Amino acid sequence: MARRLYLSLLGIVVLVGSLLAGNLLAGNVPSLGLDLQGGASVTLQPEGDFTPSALAQAVDIISQRVNALGVSEPEITRQGNNVVVNLPGVNDQQKALDIIGRQGELLLRPVLQAGTLNTDTATSIPGTDTTIAGSKTSVVDTTIAATEGGPGSVRSRGAATTIPASTDTTVPASSDSTVPAVATTAPAANISVSEDTTDPNVNAVLLGQNGEAYLVGPAGATGKVFTNNAQAVINNGNWTVTVELRKGADGADLWNALTTKCFNRDATCPTARIAIALDGTVISAPTVREAVFTGGNVQISGDFSQSEARDLAKILEFGAVPVKFKVATVQTVSPTLGKDSLRAAIISGLIGVLLVMAFFFVYYRMLTIVVVGGLMVSSALLWSIIALISRSNGLALTLSGVAGIIVSIGVTVDSYVVFFERIKDELHAGKSLRSSAQRSFTLAWRTILAADTVSFLGALVLWWLTVGSVRGFAFFLGLSTLCDVIVAYFFTRPAVLLLARSKFLSGRKVLGVALPESSAQ
Amino acid sequence: MSGMFGRLYRGETTFNFVGRRWWGFGISLAFVVVTFISLFAQGLNLGIDFKGGVAWEVPATTITVEDVRAILEANKIPTADAKIQVLNGADGKRIRAQVGEISTSTRTVVQTALSAKAQVDVQEVSVASVSSSWGRSITEKAVRALLIFFVIVSMYIAWRFEWKMAIAAILAMVHDVLISVGVYATFGFSVTPATVIAFLTILGFSLYDTIVVFDKVHENTTRYSASKVSYGDIINVSMNQVLMRSINTSLAAVLPVLSLLVLGSWVMGAIALQEFALALLVGLLLGAYSSIYIATPLLAVFKGRELKFRTLQGSLRLGEEMARLGATSKKVVTRTPGDGASATSTQSDIERETVLASSALSHPPRPRKNRRR
Repeated sequence: MARRLYLSLLGIVVLVGSLLAGNLLAGNVPSLGLDLQGGASVTLQPEGDFTPSALAQAVDIISQRVNALGVSEPEITRQGNNVVVNLPGVNDQQKALDIIGRQGELLLRPVLQAGTLNTDTATSIPGTDTTIAGSKTSVVDTTIAATEGGPGSVRSRGAATTIPASTDTTVPASSDSTVPAVATTAPAANISVSEDTTDPNVNAVLLGQNGEAYLVGPAGATGKVFTNNAQAVINNGNWTVTVELRKGADGADLWNALTTKCFNRDATCPTARIAIALDGTVISAPTVREAVFTGGNVQISGDFSQSEARDLAKILEFGAVPVKFKVATVQTVSPTLGKDSLRAAIISGLIGVLLVMAFFFVYYRMLTIVVVGGLMVSSALLWSIIALISRSNGLALTLSGVAGIIVSIGVTVDSYVVFFERIKDELHAGKSLRSSAQRSFTLAWRTILAADTVSFLGALVLWWLTVGSVRGFAFFLGLSTLCDVIVAYFFTRPAVLLLARSKFLSGRKVLGVALPESSAQ
Repeated sequence: MSGMFGRLYRGETTFNFVGRRWWGFGISLAFVVVTFISLFAQGLNLGIDFKGGVAWEVPATTITVEDVRAILEANKIPTADAKIQVLNGADGKRIRAQVGEISTSTRTVVQTALSAKAQVDVQEVSVASVSSSWGRSITEKAVRALLIFFVIVSMYIAWRFEWKMAIAAILAMVHDVLISVGVYATFGFSVTPATVIAFLTILGFSLYDTIVVFDKVHENTTRYSASKVSYGDIINVSMNQVLMRSINTSLAAVLPVLSLLVLGSWVMGAIALQEFALALLVGLLLGAYSSIYIATPLLAVFKGRELKFRTLQGSLRLGEEMARLGATSKKVVTRTPGDGASATSTQSDIERETVLASSALSHPPRPRKNRRR
């Protein structure tokens, strides 16, 4: 029993310590928000025709794109028709552009021919009579099918059209220069090919992400046929991407017209494949398995890795911005408040926490050691996670975020209060510290778990359904609640139980009750 | 340790929370009425993140951020929530100043003043209307999420405890947020995204606090289920038992906030902290108050009508009797005194045993006649 307690205590301290050390070594530090550190400001100017509602929708999509996790707190405003995106903590202007993303017009184009590029710069694009093979070495082995359960949706088990890859497939370093050459020589028939890879109305040769080349026809539809809810899910052990179709003429009808053509291997879509192209690059080119998608759901499956599936889902979700923008200006912006405010917040916050500790010491005496230790563990854990997410998801702490974290420290001590009050009750009844500690934890744990579950549920719902700073708040609420539960179970419990067994507390006053010299063994 | 604090410390106070419930309800009702009056009379003072406003951009030749702030203040534009930033791009340095909505004439006056200060043509100072960064869709989504959150939390509380507790907890939460909003409306504090976040924090804290209290009530309900004890008594006993915990937790939560407000914003001059800390302070105090004076007494009102408790309604045990009720449920532990050391403490041991006892929660209450006096 004691060994398990030591293990748990040691485990959490070592785990959190190494997390902290790892972050420090990797140089991950929490980045600061627009008000404290400034960042980059990108002005986007809409081009062509657009309606105000489309512009509003575009702003929504952009804000989701730059703030997918909800923690980066960018500031997105409209100045006239321009959209100004202020990104916190980004000082590199090119990086700011990367985050906002390319202008992102997603086109769905029928594939006329597909093949790979190899070192000879001559391409082996198979003729229109595609080989039917179950070859696992095919470059792209993706299919589209309606998800199960949709009314009348039958997943047809037709032979998959796959393109055998020549074993010596390598991508030339300067693949761009070879593309026009490929385009003019490869097709057997005389198909006019445009060099503009983003023009939706003409044939073009597009490159895939892994060196595949596709001869594609005019776009049959744009990314607007999908709703913004693509998801990467595991289906039968494989990562697949599911996405819903918009209803009506601009959505499902357009999509079904395209898939019917491809399914029937119409002249405009002889390979039965549809290339999903973002800004002239083919992200995926699945084979159509269904003529009409009556269920309204589209499922794209293939041998994706998890990150490939996620990327595809993200592109399907955010790729189709209803308004086309051009970048008018990129600037760096200075902070609105500056570091003085941050220093004031941290200093006064720490003094506040010290006051809490002092109060605890007066009230709970030696048990305060556990509180201090627990707070250190949970602060280190929180700091590590924040630093990690700063790096990976552009989290940026604003002044109110910093203040909120300091306040949350004050709130988390509640689990200690609940626990210690229980112990106090038992001690007053004349039980030994040792036996009351174990029993009190069991009872307090129930209370802590109930209260934390409610907090966590709230955080989850808010995070799931909101955007912007509310989503950021929910993220931190959930995070600190989880930390609280983890620390309570893996740190506070073993620490108090071990203290209760040790001779350290014997003969001292604990919780206002004088313990006998020799603690009951 | 004796007297008032000692009894508070040992959870032996005998405050009659249920009996004085109408005080709490009355005070809260008065505050809610004030909230509604000030909401309709003057509304909330929404900051520029919600309402949008005007932005000027001036080439940063000789002009500094302080100059811009001075010009804004000279034109009686509040600069507390103005955003003044230095932009650095391909076309040189510029200063952007964003403030809330103002009249067209003031826009021109500021534009002229800025161009004069920067010694550039008036045309080079741009003026543009700026939309809110907190769009309508954010508010709509947040409100929808909150409603769903209420439903899910009620379901959880109903499953874990009971549905009457769910209603009481939600009502207490609504009460907290309403009155916090009322404070903002009455005093005309500027509402920023940080304020909204503070209100959400309050919601979370209030709910957490209420659950902890309800957990005790729930536990005591099972404990007294065999005996004829009114629900008001159960609640009074539970409240007195968790009172110290409520006070401690609230103190621990309020101390950092007070420090942020007093030290951070007043002594060290970080004004931006003030509104956030203020919203939190108001909310935390309300949260602690509402779980004691709103949520639990409400529960007493709801539960008192149940068949089981109806006959006992109105009969509250007060003072000594309440203390005894709390104590009888505690099992009297007769600890065999060990050798030597504990022999000296027999006197206090005996005292302790007579007055109170352990919370042997799984045990049914001892019959009253067996009580040792």
